[in-house]
Amino acid sequence: MNINIASYCRLTNHKLEVNDIDIQIQKTEASSLNDIYRHLNLSYPKFFKMDNLSKAGFLASELLLKNIIIDKETPKKDMAIVLMNRSASLDNDRTYQTTIQDENNFFPSPSVFVYTLSNIVNGEIAIRNKIMGESSFYISENFSPEKIYSAVMNTFSDPNINQVICGWVDYEFNECDVLLLLIRKENQEKIPFNVNNIYHLYT
Amino acid sequence: MIYQWSNNIISSLGFTTEENYTAVKQGNTGLKYYKNPFDFPEDAMLSLIDDEHLNNAFSSINTKQKTAYTRFEKAAILSVYKALEKTNIDVKSKKVVFILSTTKGNVELLDKKESEFYEAERVYLWRSAQLITSFFDNPNEAIIVSNACISGAAAQITALRLLQQKIYDFAIVIGADVLSKFIISGFQSFKSLSVDICKPFDKNRCGLNLGEAAATIIYSSIENNRPLLSNNIVLLNGAIANDANHISGPSRTGDGLSIAIEKTLQNTNIQDIALINAHGTATPYNDDMESMGITANQLENIPINSLKGFLGHTLGAAGVLETILSGVALLDNMLLKSNGSENPETICPLNIVLNNQNSFKTHFLKLLSGFGGCNAAILLKKT
Amino acid sequence: MEALILELKKEIIEVLNLEELTPEDINEDAPLFVEGLGLDSIDALELIVLMEKNYGIKLNNAAEGRDIFKSVRIMAEYIAKNRTK
Repeated sequence: MNINIASYCRLTNHKLEVNDIDIQIQKTEASSLNDIYRHLNLSYPKFFKMDNLSKAGFLASELLLKNIIIDKETPKKDMAIVLMNRSASLDNDRTYQTTIQDENNFFPSPSVFVYTLSNIVNGEIAIRNKIMGESSFYISENFSPEKIYSAVMNTFSDPNINQVICGWVDYEFNECDVLLLLIRKENQEKIPFNVNNIYHLYT
Repeated sequence: MIYQWSNNIISSLGFTTEENYTAVKQGNTGLKYYKNPFDFPEDAMLSLIDDEHLNNAFSSINTKQKTAYTRFEKAAILSVYKALEKTNIDVKSKKVVFILSTTKGNVELLDKKESEFYEAERVYLWRSAQLITSFFDNPNEAIIVSNACISGAAAQITALRLLQQKIYDFAIVIGADVLSKFIISGFQSFKSLSVDICKPFDKNRCGLNLGEAAATIIYSSIENNRPLLSNNIVLLNGAIANDANHISGPSRTGDGLSIAIEKTLQNTNIQDIALINAHGTATPYNDDMESMGITANQLENIPINSLKGFLGHTLGAAGVLETILSGVALLDNMLLKSNGSENPETICPLNIVLNNQNSFKTHFLKLLSGFGGCNAAILLKKT
Repeated sequence: MEALILELKKEIIEVLNLEELTPEDINEDAPLFVEGLGLDSIDALELIVLMEKNYGIKLNNAAEGRDIFKSVRIMAEYIAKNRTK
């Protein structure tokens, strides 16, 4: 059995690459994540309720799984989501803080507060694709292929897990930095899942 | 399996595991009614770590006078210090790793009034983790698990996997969260706070109480030949599963929790289980959801408790804190009562522990569920 | 009342991030939750904030909201009767 990188998506402010193909998107100044959503012709209005971190992770997961035969409606107990980033949910935490900073204008927002946890992006991807396996979020100061590799291999120690969506999902100060990988146990040899290949796809 | 070598709890009920256990066994709650806590414009029932007590205890161990530590960091460091004190582990070794479980760390520093004494980087969890490991001169980068309210179980599952692979000899698992206007206002906006002491699994349950705590378990793949208590607690197995249903609302079927329990209990004789220490937040939906996940695995007759009526919902600390208390109780052949539960009523009936009772069985199951649709189960036993 | 209904529709679109809708798309007599706009429990909580922030009406729990948030028209009628700002 081989552990392969079955698909990948790299999404930053300047680059959108899916399995070696650059995708060009007409971007308006303010909201490039919304532009990608429109470009993909998705019909998922919940997208607009998400914070930036979840939007970024959600879009990358849509692109990651675009050419993979996957039935979104069937519950998938054999699939896990393992993500990591630098800033947790601080981008959205700062937005929430603005709703409580002023004592004379103190209206804590529940729809912002709900995104003040980094692992909500796992939840959004899980809901969209009915992924019911393990779901984990780790924090690391810097992008680390070693840590991603180790976390995913640990997840595979559960013999029921056959595929893992994993990677780096960070969004802070208008900077989007996402690399998502779909890792699968497969019979064929393809791009092997290892530290070098994670690093190579990130840079 | 991995062995508990030592543990500690820092909470409203005391700064040692023994103080916390004694208080809980006597039925004392750490929950108190606070007027405008943290400048929050309403009152709330909370379990808070006493500031003066924390500062005094911390300054007596603090050798790094130059660093100004936050409440969160002080509580976490103090907890690790007290857990290590009871052992001869060389914390400076490469074979010792810290695993930090927290949801919000120093988030209160986003408030302009709170941030002036600290550098901007202090709101990042990795920065707090660096300060914690460097306090103990531990050479490894800490592993930081931020998985909402299941973080404390997720961190123990991570410890289990790393230690079983012999990558490290010891894992110091810290669960810590402190409260702030940020966290309290958020839960209040969810209308999920109870102004009275919460009533887990009760017919009249109407919401949760928040709490703060730092708790530490030191695990090892090596059996402790000098156990601190007459028996040891070992972590056998654990699993995480997602509901894939809603980002904040508990599943209406308990499917995710049911999967986590099923995976955790593979090859386990259910007759050996003394207790299910549930998440039991006392919100109407959480407790119903848990009753369904438990019943789906035919565990509804096993005694079940929730410790939230003693120490509140301590967020990222909960999984570590409640695992310690349940383990110590089991070593004492004791099932702790589910404080606040009077007239249990959930969608599937459960066997709630209403008064402290003895049990001589060996295993217990710890459950947690959280935002993002995540659920965790871990199985421990005494040896 | 019609002016309040229009104002309310604009506010709902804004606070609930109903990006792809315009006020004309919302039928003021259609149910807001489940069918209709397909709103959920977090949206209901956000509408409670809207009521307090924009109209000075304080609702203590989500259950109270359930009757008031049946449709935009019922919401507008409740606001007209109870608003303090």
